[in-house]
Amino acid sequence: MKPTLSPQGQAAQTISRNMKLISHNELAGFGGVGEGINMQITKDGRRILWLAHESAPKNFTAVDVTDVKNPKVICQTDLPHERVRSNSLDVVGDIMVVAYQTKQVGDKPAGMDVFDISTPEKPKLISHFDASGPHSRGAHCVWFVDGEYVHLTSGSGDFEPTNEIDFQFYRIIDVRNPSKPVEVGRWHYPGTHKGDKEAPPPRHPKFEGGYRPHNVNVFPERPDRAYVAYLDGGAVILDISDKSNPKMITNWRNSPPFNGFCHTVMPLFSRDLLVVTEECTKDDGIDWPKLGWIVNASMETNLIPVSTLPMPPVENFIKRGGRFGAHNIHENLPGPASFRSDTLVVGTFFNGGVRVFDTSNEYQPQEVAYFVPGTPKLSPKGSVQINDVWVDEKGLVYAVDRFTGGLYIIEMTL
Amino acid sequence: MKRDALSGRFPVSIITGFLGSGKTTLINRLLKRPDMNRVAVIVNEFGEQAIDNDLVEVSSEQMMLLNNGCLCCVLRGDLQETLRDLFVKRRNGDIIDFDRVVIETTGLADPAPVMQTLMTDDILAENYRMDCVVTLADAVNGVEQLDTMPEPVKQAALADRIVITKSDIAGEAATAALEARLRELNPQAPIKRAVNGEIELAFLIDVGLRNVKAKLEDIQKWMGEPDDDHGDDHGHDHGHAGRHAAGVSSFCLRFDQPMTWAAFSQTMEVLGALRGSDMLRVKGLVNVAEHAGPMVVQGVQHLFHPPVELAAWPTEDHNTRIVFITRNIPRATVENLFHAIGAVGKVA
Repeated sequence: MKPTLSPQGQAAQTISRNMKLISHNELAGFGGVGEGINMQITKDGRRILWLAHESAPKNFTAVDVTDVKNPKVICQTDLPHERVRSNSLDVVGDIMVVAYQTKQVGDKPAGMDVFDISTPEKPKLISHFDASGPHSRGAHCVWFVDGEYVHLTSGSGDFEPTNEIDFQFYRIIDVRNPSKPVEVGRWHYPGTHKGDKEAPPPRHPKFEGGYRPHNVNVFPERPDRAYVAYLDGGAVILDISDKSNPKMITNWRNSPPFNGFCHTVMPLFSRDLLVVTEECTKDDGIDWPKLGWIVNASMETNLIPVSTLPMPPVENFIKRGGRFGAHNIHENLPGPASFRSDTLVVGTFFNGGVRVFDTSNEYQPQEVAYFVPGTPKLSPKGSVQINDVWVDEKGLVYAVDRFTGGLYIIEMTL
Repeated sequence: MKRDALSGRFPVSIITGFLGSGKTTLINRLLKRPDMNRVAVIVNEFGEQAIDNDLVEVSSEQMMLLNNGCLCCVLRGDLQETLRDLFVKRRNGDIIDFDRVVIETTGLADPAPVMQTLMTDDILAENYRMDCVVTLADAVNGVEQLDTMPEPVKQAALADRIVITKSDIAGEAATAALEARLRELNPQAPIKRAVNGEIELAFLIDVGLRNVKAKLEDIQKWMGEPDDDHGDDHGHDHGHAGRHAAGVSSFCLRFDQPMTWAAFSQTMEVLGALRGSDMLRVKGLVNVAEHAGPMVVQGVQHLFHPPVELAAWPTEDHNTRIVFITRNIPRATVENLFHAIGAVGKVA
């Protein structure tokens, strides 16, 4: 394709700054990836990228990225039926946990699987944690970094929400015995459970996303804190020093007037900051702005937003089609194959691709790199929809498309 | 992990040249080269030898996108404004995502202010970095211009690369004389001859340090051709200051002991305050006692780029080495100042 004077609004055209594509893999024709990416370093030294698919028919895919120029799919599994999606996974050592969310309440499998992936070509199911129930659609996200506890956003057989779309809450699952996962604690947003003394929380007037946790971050630096993004409930910090009884310390809500769907709350510990992202859930800029926020957390009980991650003009990108706005970021997971930075933030923005920000000055974050692939083959949106990202300890970026594009391995030239 | 202090900025090559040295010819040739994809070239005007229409993909009043992917823009207002505008347009998606800039300066331009602009304008410094100053010298008139005018002397002294043009017209003797004269003025800059503006892009780019992981060859490329006084503290002046009216000389100081940053910067401040306008160009690696890696220093007259620490010394040689190109400042003056301020030999 020939270049044009103005390529941003042209979905077919790849645009970039300070990022270079190393390789691209369409994942054997199943290039729709959700928001679960993690990297395993096997005992024989191979680097395996695990990807949870966005929707059926595929469950998860393992890609050997030892040679990043030549990534190879070594395992791809199927879901039992079309009414369930996996979406999220995490890996610690040779143990992988995968979330399952159903389309309808009451359906199965709903909850979480635990796998032994010591032979990545042949994952072995160790156990299934059932979270199904008359009001449950199972689990949306897992956070598993210490090999002991999974921080799960899930429904449960014994949980009846006050509003049917608030069907998930925060559950802490002990997997120290991976063959018998057990819940050790839970927390839900006040007023979302039938029988709560608090009144149900107010609904978002324009874009109702519900009160469910999306990502939960718990780091070894602060094992007594859970950083929870609670969709329309905003950012929540919980004291989990007693896992059986999490307590809310603070709740920062920017919506309304903003458009809700708080997605990730990631602390930058050395700087007393949080990166809070929302998720764009509508095509064509309808729910714009969906942003990444930098929040001063030096007083946990008084979170103050100080800036947002700068975005290119929405008018150009909505011409590309599909969603444009914030979504996942690389979450600084601990682990041998994960990039950790308290200044550089790498995020995904659907048709805005993968974008990198230098937040050294938290009041004026700078966009320092981006890579926006041209439209993948057979894309239903007519544009790339970069959904999630993993950055390895060497700074290589693994970005995935939500529908057909699969995996893009990108080098930052920062 | 933090952002690399040097990388990730658009490299800028500045093309300057003596009057009539064929800058426009060279730029027009350059614009058509296949390796100019994603290069933005800022020109003074769409010249008379304008680009053939069949090479132009899209154009507006101020910009032309050529079918090799090169973006040609006319200087608008001042350079600062044009560079800011280019960056904003790129960010806003109004133009191609260029990843390098080449600037054609006007005829008698002094390249120093252009170089300084890239260091002092916050927005520009955040997004661009000086890569290379290329000076064109005309073999027919070059020697005379150097003898009679101050601007060409400065252009030659500030250059990282020198291109001699019109050697086919001037003949070998005149070309060799110019080359010898340029070598005296600026022994660090590699010199090439170009006939009819033909020069490969590679000679004009990738001179400046691209990241803090710079290796020996990167440093040699940036600092220029190795001087012949390598390894001792008592080399000679290349430029024989005072012999020419211009009084330009070039020398490399080496110190085998680490110095404190305070002493080094104080020395530079004194030099800058007293003789800033005659300190044409300074670049080097400084062994600073408080830092494990070498500190990269670079300055143009009284302005210095913020120092950057490299990840590691490129070789076992940890000596401080600084190239100075000065006007009427002899080597001994600078060297003595280092000693007087105590930059040398007083590290606890």
